This record gives sequence, C-alpha cells and structure tokens, in this order.
Amino acid sequence: MDPSANPPQPQSEAPRPQRPGHRDMMFCHECNDEWYRDEHGLTCPECGSDFTEIIEEGNDPRDSHMMDHDHESDNGSLPGFDGPPPLLPFFQPNPMRGADDPAEEDISSLQFRQVAPGRFTVTGTVYRDVSPMGRPAPAPPTENAGSQAPRALGGLTNFLTNIIGGALRGPQQQQQPQQQQPPGFQWNTEHADGQNNPGNDGNQQAHGGPESRPPGLPPGVHRFTYTAGARLLPRDPNNPGPRGEPVDELNNVIVGLMAALGEPPGPHHHDHFHSAGPVPINPLVHLFAQMLPGNGQFGDAVYSQEALDRIITQLMEQNTSSNAPGPAPQSEIDKLPRKAVSLEMLGAEGRAECSICMDEVNIGEEVTELPCHHWFHHACIAAWLGEHDTCPHCRKGITKQPENATNQGQAGGSSGPTAGSSSQGQMPGAFAGGEGTSDNPYVL
Amino acid sequence: MALPKRIIKETERLMAEPVKGISAVPHEDNLRYFDVTIEGPEQSPYEGGVFKLELFLPDDYPMTPPKIRFLTKIYHPNIDRLGRICLDVLKGNWSPALQIRTILLSIQALLGAPNPDDPLANDVAQKWKEDQNAAIETARQWTREHAKP
Repeated sequence: MDPSANPPQPQSEAPRPQRPGHRDMMFCHECNDEWYRDEHGLTCPECGSDFTEIIEEGNDPRDSHMMDHDHESDNGSLPGFDGPPPLLPFFQPNPMRGADDPAEEDISSLQFRQVAPGRFTVTGTVYRDVSPMGRPAPAPPTENAGSQAPRALGGLTNFLTNIIGGALRGPQQQQQPQQQQPPGFQWNTEHADGQNNPGNDGNQQAHGGPESRPPGLPPGVHRFTYTAGARLLPRDPNNPGPRGEPVDELNNVIVGLMAALGEPPGPHHHDHFHSAGPVPINPLVHLFAQMLPGNGQFGDAVYSQEALDRIITQLMEQNTSSNAPGPAPQSEIDKLPRKAVSLEMLGAEGRAECSICMDEVNIGEEVTELPCHHWFHHACIAAWLGEHDTCPHCRKGITKQPENATNQGQAGGSSGPTAGSSSQGQMPGAFAGGEGTSDNPYVL
Repeated sequence: MALPKRIIKETERLMAEPVKGISAVPHEDNLRYFDVTIEGPEQSPYEGGVFKLELFLPDDYPMTPPKIRFLTKIYHPNIDRLGRICLDVLKGNWSPALQIRTILLSIQALLGAPNPDDPLANDVAQKWKEDQNAAIETARQWTREHAKP
C-alpha cells in the first residue's frame, strides 16, 4: 500500500468492476497464491501451476475459498455471488483498495478493532511463501478475518506495533514505497480512521464504507509494513480447519517475531526490514534470539523428546538418593562402639565378612557395631553413615531418634515410594514428601 | 582408579555361583560394565523371554547403587521405553550390603510382580490398571517379539 500512490479518489466507486490503472490480479487454485499478472504472468510463480485465474471484482476465485468456510454457518450453502454483496463484511471494499499496493491484496486476515468512536485499529496478517521450518509454503488463508486466532494475535500484533512503531519513528514509514518490498511474509499493521469492520462479529454493522475513508493516511495515523520469515497460521484451502485456528508452532511464531524485530533469525530469513533508517537495537531481539530453536534450549525449556529424556535421566540420577535418609552426624559416627570380632560373631560357618567391602574379618579384628548390633569395618560403615544414616542391613539409623532423625538432610523432592518388593519399611524418610514435616525435629 | 576388591569378589562369585536365570558378564576392557541377561520369571507374562540389560558400577560403588537399564524392549509399568527401571533399591533404598546379585534378583522379582501404582511408564501403568488382561497380553506379545532367547 503506497500512500504516495493513493491520491484521493471518489469514495462512492468502491464496488466498481474496473477502474483506470487496474492491474490484473492472478489467483492460483493450487496454492492460493496471488500475484500481479503484469509481473509474473499467468503461471503461478509459487507452485508453477497453470490452474490460475484472473481475479475480477465480480468473479473473485478467492471468494469461494474464503467464504465457504465461514459462510456455511450462516446459510449452510456455498456462496455463489454474482457481485460483491455489499452487506457481507468480507466484500466491503477495503478503503485502501484504491491504493496500488501488492501487499494490499495479500492481506488475508484483517483484524479490526474499534479503539474509539469512529476510529478503528486495523491489523492485517498475511501468509506467504516463507517457511522457517523448511516446509513448503503455506497456502493463503481461506478463512475470513472473523476467526478467533487472528483476533487473539491482534493484541500481540498491536503490542509489537507499539514497540516497532517507536523504533521506526512511525509516520515516516508511510513514505516507504511499498512496491519495492520483496515478496514474502507481510505483516501489515495499520492505524487508520473509519475502517470498516469485517472481522468483528459484534461490529458488522460498522461497515464504515468509503465515505469515512480518509483520502490518505491522516495525521497521527501511522502505518508500516514489516516482513517476517514465518507464517503464523497453518492453512489448508482444501480442508478448512475449525474456526478457532490453531496457533502455529511457537518456533515459527518466534522466528516471525524475530524477523519483525529486524533481526535475521537464521538461514531461513530472507526478507529484510525495509525501514529507512537503522533499527535501534531492541532488547526483545536478544530475548527472542535466545528462544530460537537453533540455539537449543531456552532456559529450562526443551524442544525435543531426546532433550527431555536426557534431562529426566539427569534428574533421576541426581535424585538417586533423594528419598534416602541424610547423613548421620560425624559425632555420632565417632561415638559408635568398636569391638574385637569374637567367635560367636562369626556365625555358624565360622567365618564372616564386612558386607560393605566384602573382605573377610578374622577373630580379634576390630569392627564397629551399630546400635542394631550389625557390625562393619569402621572405615566402611563410617563412609556409608556419612552419607546415609541407615544400617546397611536393617536400615535403622544410629541417631537417638531413628524414626525421625533420618528425615533430616535432603529428604525433600522425593517423588514418593518406589516399586519393588524389597522395601522393608524400615526406611524412615524414604516416603517423606518433603522436609520440614511436623514430626521432624531436625536432630543434628 | 584401581578396581576395588569388592568388585573383583562380586564378579568372581557371580561367575562361580551363577544365579538361575541371570547372567552378568563384565566387559574385558571395563570391568565395571556388565552385560546382563535376565530370564523372565515363570508364571509371568515375561516367561520365555531373555532380557538384556546393561549394568555399570559407578566410581563410588558400593556407596551408590549400580546403574542398570534394560536394553531389550519390555512392556512393564515400572520400566520405561528407555529401559530405565523404577526400583527402590536402585535409588533411595540402596544399601552397600546389597550386591549385583541381589539387585538383579530384585529386578527379576519386579518382572514377576509389576507395580502399576508406582509407575515409571505412565501409559503402561494406566493400561495395566484399566485392563490388566490386555496389558499382560501386550507384555506377552512384546516378550515374544523382542525378548527372544
């Protein structure tokens, strides 16, 4: 939409079938692409299909694509329009239609919001050939602007508009010759007076119409177009989705936002921000840059099952003993009685070993005995008790309050009991949901 | 790091007195790493299957439990699709008095007594609870398909 090529025109001619300087628009039935005939000819420049058609005012092939979905809720039939029905919002002439603007024809999802009496905010979103994920180009939308998702995105769009609008110093952008913009994802954001309101169910009577259309863009109204390397809404012309369109993958949205913010998001970015001046560094750029999938994880977010598995494994290993009792105090370990191995300690076989190091112990060798009367090499049991206050055999702790004391330490974060039949129920703290339970005296 | 005497002893005993239905053979180049096979317990949906596992003894073994994972695909509510095992003695209930042998016996017992109330594989556990017969049949089928002797 080139304001310089947008002189004041007769406002009542909106439904005119032809007008001077009319350029034939082409429409591809295969991929729904649109282009100017005098630029790309009759064959679709997108998909190379010959199944194309010249768009005329009274015979717009896009109408059936656009209308058959939303319209069916009205009368259940596919539209067969002879001409632009003036009362159907989608056929309201866009007040900017007089402008010779390639982007204009690409606006396929318009968001109109009344911001004040007589004033509307218009947000247009266009889906074109760029596919950040390396996918084939998404087809242009087949739903009209009344769907829910664009409306929801409109808030974000306006938010970005404010950010970028400041960066672009707003109205200067009007002077940008739009014809020079490269084909690609167009994300047009406009603010204009008296726009009609085709997308808003609650304001369909506010058609506005040409009479309220400004001759150009009035002062205080800024408009700019920025390009992005992403589609926001997946579309399928042959299989229209539900009214509430699914929001595209976050990655794509982010890539689009990145492009919108003027930062090349990666190898898929091929459009540029056609701003007159350098874009001030935007802190959001850096924020979004970190979120790009190419950079892998963003904080704790993971993007693949593999990464998730890796992290879960990591957590499982870190928490290997999270539900195990904490260490016994060193003073208690030091106080454990030591005794020489006697004949009766060896048992029936007449030989025994320290079950921690599995070394055989002989009569007379000094071992350390726990309150539960199990005994080990002192070094062996001290190493274990220094990590977990449980007897390796019977799991009793050595501290005075064995029921509670083992809750101390890192009892938190346990995911609860674990499987298996070998739990002996002797592990106070093993099933603790977290530290700080009321019966935990934190004996140290 | 020299191999602790305990690991050598355990390995020797595993070889000298093998457990029925269980084998654990250390790698020649890494004596802390074992190739393990466990036969599915009788009367269980895993009967007739031979399941491969890997077992690694970390540096601070036996102060920390061995790391064990199923390599053979298995349909079990306490074993996830990566082969990780939800077993208390492999986690917080580890004790240095336990050994490779006892741990492997515990795993074999787990095959005979799935515990869907403490799942690691949530979808399997849910299926196990909703339709135990179907889940057991799936486990049988997986055993036939993946755990061929």
